[in-house]
Amino acid sequence: MHAEAALYEPPFPSDKPRRPGWLRCHGREAAALVLLAVLLFPFLWMVQLALRPADAAFEPGLLFAPTLEAFRALWEDQFARAFGNSLLTSTLSTALSLLIGVPAAYALTRWRFRARRHVALWILCTRMAPPIAFTIPFFLALRWTGLLDTVWGLTLIYLTFNLAIVIWLMQSFFAAVPAALEEAAWMDGCGIWAAFWHVTLPLTRPGLVSTAVLCFIFSWSDFFFALILTRTQAVTAPVAIVNFLQYDGWEWTKIAAAGTLVMLPVVAFTLLVRKYLVRGLTAGGVKD
Amino acid sequence: MQMPPALAPALPAGEAGQHYYLPSRSLAPAPPAAAPGWQRQQRRAYGWGLYPALMVLALITLAPLLTLIVVSLTPLSLTDPAGTFHFRDPLGNYRQLLKDPRFLHSLWVQFQLSSVGVTLQLLMGLGIALLLHGRSPVLGAVRSLFLIPMVLPPIVVALIWKILYTPDISPLHQALEALGWPLRSLIANPDTALWAVVAADTWQWFPFTMLMVLAALQMIPDDPLEAARMDGANRWQLLRFIVFPHIRAVLLVCALFRLIDSFKAFPLLYVLTNGGPGTVTEVTNFYGFIQAFNFSFWGYGSAIALVMLAGVFALSALVSRLGREGGHDAR
Repeated sequence: MHAEAALYEPPFPSDKPRRPGWLRCHGREAAALVLLAVLLFPFLWMVQLALRPADAAFEPGLLFAPTLEAFRALWEDQFARAFGNSLLTSTLSTALSLLIGVPAAYALTRWRFRARRHVALWILCTRMAPPIAFTIPFFLALRWTGLLDTVWGLTLIYLTFNLAIVIWLMQSFFAAVPAALEEAAWMDGCGIWAAFWHVTLPLTRPGLVSTAVLCFIFSWSDFFFALILTRTQAVTAPVAIVNFLQYDGWEWTKIAAAGTLVMLPVVAFTLLVRKYLVRGLTAGGVKD
Repeated sequence: MQMPPALAPALPAGEAGQHYYLPSRSLAPAPPAAAPGWQRQQRRAYGWGLYPALMVLALITLAPLLTLIVVSLTPLSLTDPAGTFHFRDPLGNYRQLLKDPRFLHSLWVQFQLSSVGVTLQLLMGLGIALLLHGRSPVLGAVRSLFLIPMVLPPIVVALIWKILYTPDISPLHQALEALGWPLRSLIANPDTALWAVVAADTWQWFPFTMLMVLAALQMIPDDPLEAARMDGANRWQLLRFIVFPHIRAVLLVCALFRLIDSFKAFPLLYVLTNGGPGTVTEVTNFYGFIQAFNFSFWGYGSAIALVMLAGVFALSALVSRLGREGGHDAR
């Protein structure tokens, strides 16, 4: 790689011989920037495609008048509804998994019972299992109960990964709160859950927010479950993109605009919770 | 010490004579270690927090697993749902799997995709992590931007590469044509389709290794590096003998995680090649999807899913063990 080569070149001769040359100081930074530009090029190409007028989609070069025409066309189509479904499903699933998962994570952190490790292993297995293993039984069950192609059915299957994430992540946040604080609250007459609500939970608020964001993003990004468990009514935005690709001719600017809309909230949010991203992705496998 | 009558039954009879600190009823319960009554109350309270989640987890994970196992023993399918729900030949699906050339081929495709993809991701992630490891505001800012491919929704990644691989619209194809090297569509060509998918997969997932390795690099103490430099070690020797032993465990964990997740690869394949041309890019997951949801052979699809599940669990057990040993380095 030229990046490495740049690092080994001798410093430029300069008027202050003691100081290392520009390349020595900034070679690594320059290499990183060049590499970044190359790697993000495909991503940026999609974004600029979304801003093109429809008739300029196939022209090479970057000389075009940017327009939001594609986004407007998208909004008049069925996409707004799919976007709404995505929002609704992700929010519902995040709220439900926090509601059920947070108290469980707290109990698992503070209550040292013997089967604790089995529960942890169970959660790890849930994280690792291939989605198709969940999809076939869920498909059959939802078909049987008439919940196929509904927001509720999708919300339920999103719990399979979100609940595991909440329980796993929140445990590490709760463990960081000193138990002495809760014991002090107990002394003052709080019950366990009152102490949890008034003392522990406020202290873990940043962790809670990050966990919620991760849950939201994972539900938002899901494609496989939504593809199989929805048809027309509960279609989410990622599935709508694929429908565009397959049925709507090749309206590239519109498709690129849809992709841009789906990705914007995710990119913004994840860069915010970057610190916890790896923990979310490796939930269960790495000791916190 | 006389016990208040209301509290007396809460204490086991044998321990009632011992000296417990018993609060008057207007005060809070005793220190948790001292009173069994409080402990029991505590246990019950924790149970109220834990059991609903365990019940939901059982409903959404164990019940489907049982269903999957049961269904995989039957020839259940859409065409005759009632008539095919029987157990006359419980292992029929599995026997058929062993002779199904398309399934066996999908295992081979899976092996190629996973091994090459994960290796490339590790190399690229490691290289970029080494490049970005350093104290500089530019490098710090750039680090976050390198994460973008990984955090994009998978379907958007698939879309980005679909644009790149479609000759009509691709800047890549246009540039090559302008240079006089027109290129056939990579994803329509059976010889290159799988490698085109591998390239996209590598692009998507190198940040994972990069992030983990960067975290590990920050944990390396300065002293051994300083000492080695004093002794005249060159960059390669520093990397090979000081840095590498520190990040080996993390690399292994990364490899296993990515390996397990590579079995789930779906959106890229669905959008870029749809398993084709022919069955060139049809991995096991994709074949299971086709059997279960294109052909509606649910029994057979379940058998495929169970085989994958077994493989994934075997690898997870490995991750779990390694995570416990190498976890300190990974954080």
